[in-house]
Amino acid sequence: MLRSLTVIAALLPIQAMAQTAGWGSVGQQEEKGFSWTAPFWPDFWMAWTPATLVVFIGIFSAIALIGLLEGFKYRDGIERKGVLGLTTTLGDRLFITLLGSVYIFLAWLGIMGQPIWIPLFIAIGWGIFVFWKV
Amino acid sequence: MRTENQKAWLFVIPVLALVAFNALVPMMTVVNYSVQETFGNNQFFWEGLGWFEQILRSDRFQAALGRQFMFTAIILAIEVPLGIIVALSMPRKGFWVPVCLVLMALPMLIPWNVVGSMWNIFTLPKIGLLGYFLNDVLGINYDMTQQPISAWITVVVMDVWHWTSLVVLLCYAGLVSIPDAYYQAAKIDGASAWSVFRYIQLPKMKAVLTIAVLLRFMDSFNIYTEPFVLTGGGPGNSTTLLSIDLVKIALGQFDLGPAAAMSLIYFAITLLVSWVFYVLMTKDDQP
Repeated sequence: MLRSLTVIAALLPIQAMAQTAGWGSVGQQEEKGFSWTAPFWPDFWMAWTPATLVVFIGIFSAIALIGLLEGFKYRDGIERKGVLGLTTTLGDRLFITLLGSVYIFLAWLGIMGQPIWIPLFIAIGWGIFVFWKV
Repeated sequence: MRTENQKAWLFVIPVLALVAFNALVPMMTVVNYSVQETFGNNQFFWEGLGWFEQILRSDRFQAALGRQFMFTAIILAIEVPLGIIVALSMPRKGFWVPVCLVLMALPMLIPWNVVGSMWNIFTLPKIGLLGYFLNDVLGINYDMTQQPISAWITVVVMDVWHWTSLVVLLCYAGLVSIPDAYYQAAKIDGASAWSVFRYIQLPKMKAVLTIAVLLRFMDSFNIYTEPFVLTGGGPGNSTTLLSIDLVKIALGQFDLGPAAAMSLIYFAITLLVSWVFYVLMTKDDQP
């Protein structure tokens, strides 16, 4: 009796260690936190995820912002002749920025691969350059 | 105080709704698919940008893209000069004008898949009229179902047959809009036929010619039906153009993720080239 109790007492810390190592959570429902990449609405055919939704919200709000600026504040869209020899308005510059960014990301993915932090900064720099000079 | 009438915007709403429904929603879905993996049943698993990396680096995609650019370059190089020559040699007035116009418009009236099957039957080596004539009468070894070169020539000739008329009709419209005074002035100055073409006809045709090149570029870059019906992308992969490969991946293998990534890359290329054409087209009109 005393012997078996000793054995159990000796095993207790091991069990506690196993618990902290995560064995205790086996078979339990994992706590679901927010994930950028998990499906928003499972079984919906458009397959939205928070990450892709944010991308589209970003693009559409940029278009809306430029549209409002051209519609109310700068009626001429700050038209000018830039370094490329093109006459551009704010909307043209947004389009050139977005299209150029797509190519920056694609080129990086094709030549260097993931991750894409560096092309992100290149794309931001490209956008600043386009709105400043083009 | 703004005095413009803004009511026109209301009339644009139905078009915007239609475009949102048939272009924007599918487009957003394609973007969503391009970063995920699915095994059907509407279940998706995050993949990140891996598909783009895989597609951009795959030999298969690069080969199809190369074939696509080669096809577009070849047909533009043939159809545009040929279209100009035909338009220049068409009569400007008289009985033969409507006859020529109708004859020119005929190939464009034929549905694309019918063009494909027509040329398929026409060029088959043993039973087709052209195939039989080349092989058994002229003794030229021609078999578009076996030889890549024959298949390429057939696809290119078929496209030239089908679409040169478009260039011809557009150029002809540009030519007939030139007033007679220009030609009279050229005659007085003793200008050669080449000078008349170079300094009168070509500048006057420039606007319609740019539209013709733009239309032919977009159509030939997105071409699917005719080569698919004619050769099915074969023999081997030799005439598998970008759109044929895309459909194979999307519907044949049901790899929606890679197919979505590929179609976005395809879209980016078409968008860039079309934008460059548009810029070149409108550059002279700018202040």
